Amino acid sequence: MAVIALVTALVGTTSVTATITNYMIMVVSVMALAIFSGNSGILSFGHVAFMALGAQISSTLTLAPMQKAMLMPALPAWIAQAQFGFSAALAITIAVVMLVATPTGMVIRKLAAPVVPIATLGLLIIVNSLIIGSDGVTRGSQAMYGVPNDVGLWVATSAAAIATFIASLYRESAAGLSLRASREDEAAASAVGVNVPAQRMIGWIWSGAVAAAAGALLAHYLTVFSPKDFFFDLTFATIVMLIVGGMGSVTGALVGTSLVTVLIEILRRLENGFSIGPIDFPQIFGFTQIGLCVLILAILYRRPGGLLGFVEIGRFLVRPRREASTSSTPPAEGAAEDTLEISRVRKQFGGLTAVDDVTLSLRRGEILGLIGPNGSGKSTLLGCIAGNIAADHGSIRISGREMCGQPAFVIARGGVARNFQSIRLFANLTPLENVKAAALQKHRGMSLVQADAAALKLLAELRIEALADRRSGDLAYGQQRRVEIARALALDPNFLLLDEPAAGMNEAETDELLSILEWLTQRRRLGLLIVDHDMSLIMRLCHRIAVLNKGQLIALGSPSEIRASAQVREAYLGRRHSQILEAAIVPLKQTGRA
Amino acid sequence: MKTMRILLLSGLGCLLCGLAAAHAEDTLKVGFVGGQTGYMAQCDQPSLKGMELAVDEINKAGGIDNKVKLELIARDSRSEVAPSAVMARELLDQGVTVMISPCDVDHSIAVAGVTAPAKVPAISSCASTPSLAKIGGDYMFVNCTPDNLQGAVLGKYAAEQGYKTALILVSKDTPYTYQLPIYFSQAFEKHGGKLIGTVEYKLGQQDFAAEVTKIAQMSPAADVIMTSAYEPDFPTFLKQLRSAGVNTPVLGSDGLDSPTIWSLGSVSEGVVFTNAGFPVPGSRLAAFGDEYKAHYGEETQTVFNATGYDLIKIIAAAVKASGGKTDGQSIRDALDNLENVEIATGTITYKGMNRVPIRSVALNKIADGKKTYVDTVVPAPQDVPPAQ
Repeated sequence: MAVIALVTALVGTTSVTATITNYMIMVVSVMALAIFSGNSGILSFGHVAFMALGAQISSTLTLAPMQKAMLMPALPAWIAQAQFGFSAALAITIAVVMLVATPTGMVIRKLAAPVVPIATLGLLIIVNSLIIGSDGVTRGSQAMYGVPNDVGLWVATSAAAIATFIASLYRESAAGLSLRASREDEAAASAVGVNVPAQRMIGWIWSGAVAAAAGALLAHYLTVFSPKDFFFDLTFATIVMLIVGGMGSVTGALVGTSLVTVLIEILRRLENGFSIGPIDFPQIFGFTQIGLCVLILAILYRRPGGLLGFVEIGRFLVRPRREASTSSTPPAEGAAEDTLEISRVRKQFGGLTAVDDVTLSLRRGEILGLIGPNGSGKSTLLGCIAGNIAADHGSIRISGREMCGQPAFVIARGGVARNFQSIRLFANLTPLENVKAAALQKHRGMSLVQADAAALKLLAELRIEALADRRSGDLAYGQQRRVEIARALALDPNFLLLDEPAAGMNEAETDELLSILEWLTQRRRLGLLIVDHDMSLIMRLCHRIAVLNKGQLIALGSPSEIRASAQVREAYLGRRHSQILEAAIVPLKQTGRA
Repeated sequence: MKTMRILLLSGLGCLLCGLAAAHAEDTLKVGFVGGQTGYMAQCDQPSLKGMELAVDEINKAGGIDNKVKLELIARDSRSEVAPSAVMARELLDQGVTVMISPCDVDHSIAVAGVTAPAKVPAISSCASTPSLAKIGGDYMFVNCTPDNLQGAVLGKYAAEQGYKTALILVSKDTPYTYQLPIYFSQAFEKHGGKLIGTVEYKLGQQDFAAEVTKIAQMSPAADVIMTSAYEPDFPTFLKQLRSAGVNTPVLGSDGLDSPTIWSLGSVSEGVVFTNAGFPVPGSRLAAFGDEYKAHYGEETQTVFNATGYDLIKIIAAAVKASGGKTDGQSIRDALDNLENVEIATGTITYKGMNRVPIRSVALNKIADGKKTYVDTVVPAPQDVPPAQ
């Protein structure tokens, strides 16, 4: 960036300097958007509202009192009489906009991801209307002019560099990583302890701060602006730049902004007419817009994730030296009373009682199987324990603490990890980042280097450390299962809930899984709750088995007891069939495989 | 990557050939930075067509005073502020000594910020906010019928019709929809009328029931309602007003100069509005219409064709008055002293007006679904409310 600025300063004409300055300010505004939308995966139409406020507030602060009296006669005296330099005004503006971003962020955090873009659009319209409606304190719909020209090439370039740095720093931070995890899979992120609403809000406020700076810069570069300059056109321009470059990375944001700027500059020169050999092309207005749209469509057709997608250039240039932590932290030696106690848990969906007063307990080091016919309420019970589904009543005590009704991320941090029926990794993150994201939730305040080391150690324990920097979505099925288990272990859980861990695995993979699970219970003394349809797996693995039917716990006991239970057979097969099969099962019992 | 490089090179090549274009002593380079795409295109595109016609005519006739030929260089601002300033700089680099700036106020101010230090005058293609000249400084000129001029003409006309009280419908969303009615009320009160109510609306509002109820319940009712609302707000408002049984006369401004307004049927019957000129048979504007059709093969659709055409004629008049000088300072000074210049839309005077012209304003009345001629007025300077 400095190079571009230097070359411009040395050889650029005034119009080229103006273009580059404008480009640098666009970099700042696209970075603002990248901080929120890039990491959360949620498009925001509202960031230009923060830019509008940034422009409005900063110029109100830097304008001379005499001008203010003329332009905005209704300003309170203490503002009308004050005049600040650009740096002080910028700092105040950012602080004020962060204050505005906080309550709006509280609304954003309440909303489900798909409706957030609509809400941000609302914010844009509200802020625009407020600025227009506050004629006297603002300029209403009229142009604000005479703003001091405090921003030139160098200020804009420095700002662009700082904004890019902040965006990169945030992306790699614990908060940024957590937000990216929620972008990949919100439920899985909650399951590893990410407080998704809170992370969205943090991203929102920081990106609001950067957007405010972009607005202030633009105002003090143009020296004249009106509310309509901070509305849909600018919103779409910044979104296009971000999407073309690739929403998933800071480099993408930078590349998108640069590419769109360069394309506009080339196209608008061609627009004025040119000749190729003997053929003269006339001046055609609109060529820039049309050409730009066609090129953007072409880029997105070829690369739907934007030019760079999730690739971060910096990652190839500087690869940090890492090593797994050698200090082996032995799994916390839990007290014997470390139990997961489920008592009279009930969940109704309309008239259907999915889980009906179930009482169960699980000790550390124990493997409890949860079986039952389809629709018997196994997954619902698992969801109630993990906090994904709110139980209607009952009690769930983890190591003595009542957790019923807590959100998933609290339960995850409280020592209960889970996996999902189908693998739900953060596909665009590396295995290392997957595990790190979880580790950072459990150990608040852990440094990124420590988290790296801890994550690497877990990957090593699961013998997949060589894959640490690959894209998780590209790994083989068995490898993905291992990453998922490593991620769950990063929470240092006492209990692990496994929903059909062997589904879709071949025999060799199942055997490997079994050895991992054995290792988990014996070496790390985890209590496992396993839901699976694979009877032989359950019978081989579990110390005790609980059987659900129509939401009710109908049997609980050792594998042999369960196998012998007529009630269980009835539930699975119906009374008549169970009697017919009785004869076939008896010999199996005698082989003593249990 | 390779195609990219070729594109880049050819882009640079074009830039260079543009820069290399030689200055000719007897050529005046007129720059036009306008919104050829984006929201301003509806005004700046037709303006450009008018300008091109005027340049063509003058050059075919041997140039201004048979000496100075014109070269019009147009650039698209994409209806954005930052590119407006960039384009203005590029045109200055190409040797432009008089600039026509975009239709909107802040875009024009951005252009003036570039041209004024170079002592090059800028004239907005169609911004009608009179304060633009003050904000833009000594090198910034307004061209299109200023809001306060229309307000002055409408206010005086209302008083002459014997209306005693008036109500204005305003929207704070743009200076045009907000301040023009205020200029009207100032002029109306100066001529003995009284403003008894102000009703607000939002631009693009779908339903005017609340506003219409407010107006219908006013007691005593106003003699006349004035607004500078335009499509789609004006038709919606007017239909609801008339169907509520309010038959108070309605006055409007040049935003109503559109066939969709005239053809609203009985509801728009009798609406009086101002615009830049009316093509009375035998008038200069009617002649312009014929020339336009001969040149482009189509009827002129909007008054911006004529105002664009007039802009070039005004610049030509300034060059002529300066004795053929083509430098920015001479043109600025000559523009500032123009008096009663005959143009297609009537006459225009800058002398003594601080770069906000006095020009003739036509009053039109909608009758039988057509725009009919009422009068052409050149307001006296003392009757024009000061710019806000």
